[in-house]
Amino acid sequence: MTARAERAAPVRTRFPFPRRGAVRLTFGLGMLMLVLFAFVPAVAVIVVSFTDLRGLTYVPTLWVGIENYLDFFSPARAADNWNALRNTMVFAIVGTVLQMGFALAISLLLNRPLRGRNFFRAVVFMPTILGVTVGGLIWSLIFNPAGGPMQSLLHAVGTQSAFFGDPRIALGLVIFVHVWMQVGISVVIFLAGLQAIPAELQEVASIDGASAWQRFRNVTFPLLAPSLTANVLMGVVNAMHSYQLTYVLAGPSNRSTQVLSLLVYVQAFGGESGTSLSQSQGYAAAIATLQFVLVGVIALATLFYLRRREARL
Amino acid sequence: MTMTGSSRRAQTSRTDGEDGLAALPPPSSAAPRPRRRRRRAPVGAYICLVLLAAVFLLPLLFLLNTALKSDADFLADPVGIVTEPRLQNFVDAWVQGHFGSYILNSIVYTLGGAGIGTVITMLVGFPVARGYIAGGRIWPIVFALLLFLPNSLITQFQLLLRLGLYDSRLGYVLMVAVGVGVGPLLFTGFVKSLPIELDEAAAIDGCGYGRYLVSFALPLCRPALTTIFILQAVWIWNEIILATVLLADQEKFPITVGLFAFKGAYSNQWGLLAAATMIVAVPLVVGYIFIQRYLVNGVLGAVKG
Repeated sequence: MTARAERAAPVRTRFPFPRRGAVRLTFGLGMLMLVLFAFVPAVAVIVVSFTDLRGLTYVPTLWVGIENYLDFFSPARAADNWNALRNTMVFAIVGTVLQMGFALAISLLLNRPLRGRNFFRAVVFMPTILGVTVGGLIWSLIFNPAGGPMQSLLHAVGTQSAFFGDPRIALGLVIFVHVWMQVGISVVIFLAGLQAIPAELQEVASIDGASAWQRFRNVTFPLLAPSLTANVLMGVVNAMHSYQLTYVLAGPSNRSTQVLSLLVYVQAFGGESGTSLSQSQGYAAAIATLQFVLVGVIALATLFYLRRREARL
Repeated sequence: MTMTGSSRRAQTSRTDGEDGLAALPPPSSAAPRPRRRRRRAPVGAYICLVLLAAVFLLPLLFLLNTALKSDADFLADPVGIVTEPRLQNFVDAWVQGHFGSYILNSIVYTLGGAGIGTVITMLVGFPVARGYIAGGRIWPIVFALLLFLPNSLITQFQLLLRLGLYDSRLGYVLMVAVGVGVGPLLFTGFVKSLPIELDEAAAIDGCGYGRYLVSFALPLCRPALTTIFILQAVWIWNEIILATVLLADQEKFPITVGLFAFKGAYSNQWGLLAAATMIVAVPLVVGYIFIQRYLVNGVLGAVKG
């Protein structure tokens, strides 16, 4: 084994097996699959965003430069696009903040030596398993304006609501269901962080007369910083990419819950039917690229801020 | 607590070692200590637990309750507990929604996709973890990039269209198979915990790389591979948008798309819709009871690794 590979490899090793052919072949095969079906489409999105590609193969595709991007910001589209952009940001920020808050509270509760806590941990993680379709359908039954249990509850206090049909609360409800579905992952990550905190620190703080709140504020919370970083980052990226739930709950063309990813889908594949292939996929690719840049900038800014915060603690 | 608890403890203490936290005591044994002084049961905490369970379980119980009602019962009293439970909704939903064939499709896609994905993960993850492939530190970054790819629905669709795999089961399986997510990162972390002397000993005995991977690495990595398989399988089972975009023929739809279409067709028959949702949810819940420990441990490992 050469010195170059030895320096670069994470584990310092030389290749013990007689021939390298097998490892090169198997690694190459696996990588080829990932490159062809995952990385090629990802890079191609950026390329396609500069063309007028359509869903039909026999229509010639032309380079159009930055026209798709100009289109995105053109006055005719601006209102819809800013609306989607605003919804995406609200969804990401409010969704992540709520998810972190609830996840922290739940994980602190489930980290205590309570009876049956393993059962409750499993229960909190369950919506993740059920997935967006089942979870979305359950909540659209509950928030059914024509006589779901929520409506009955509101009737009991003398009011009513259109739920996902009401533009003022539709986005809020989607965020609520999103948090309900995603909180379990964050709880598991926080629990991992909590279990790594030595109990001695808590005991010492307790002997020094620190109250429960002071112990949390000055011992637990600072030591949870790495988990918080991982959670916030995953939460933000996840929320900014999330649209399957919005699609199931409120449909593809509900303006009040329209987010960028859903806009990509609607522009490229034509909303509900999913079959009209004449839409401009180049324009949709431009939206996807803009979204990718936005997610990247926000994720890196979040990471930078949280890492600096970790270093300060 | 018996099985789950001990295996979790084993997992955390092992990964702790990698993080340089080996000096810390095992968490589960240390956690109860400060509480021992307090004799009272923490009533407030148990009230919170009950509230928590209500938030996560009541929606499911409501679904079951609705599924057992006739439409007339539901309209008369949507929230009341069912008085005459009837299974007719389940039968009707199963027949009218063609759930038999949808479930079969989903099983094929899930086993195929997650199976291929897990093999890919192993083939690329093992040599990278061992440093058997030139390029060293590039590969972990490549694996991390897999998590942050742009929304590429359009080009995934175009790629399959051009390969002649649009609206084909194979095309969809290949597309979900590469959705390996955290798999490779998780797997390299796990492989690093296996002693490299094993590789060397096998090689000295004349074992080639291919045979080593199948006969030694595969059994040794089974716990990690199980978690990786399950994580991907859950994702594929629940996937809906790619299936909507990449498949056109109703006979090839997985159960998520079938259920969503069912919702469109029977949006006013609550009992029927709830029963259909139950049909999809029950296998997941039952499966979850069995795979729970792999998942929770797996995610724990992914974070620490």
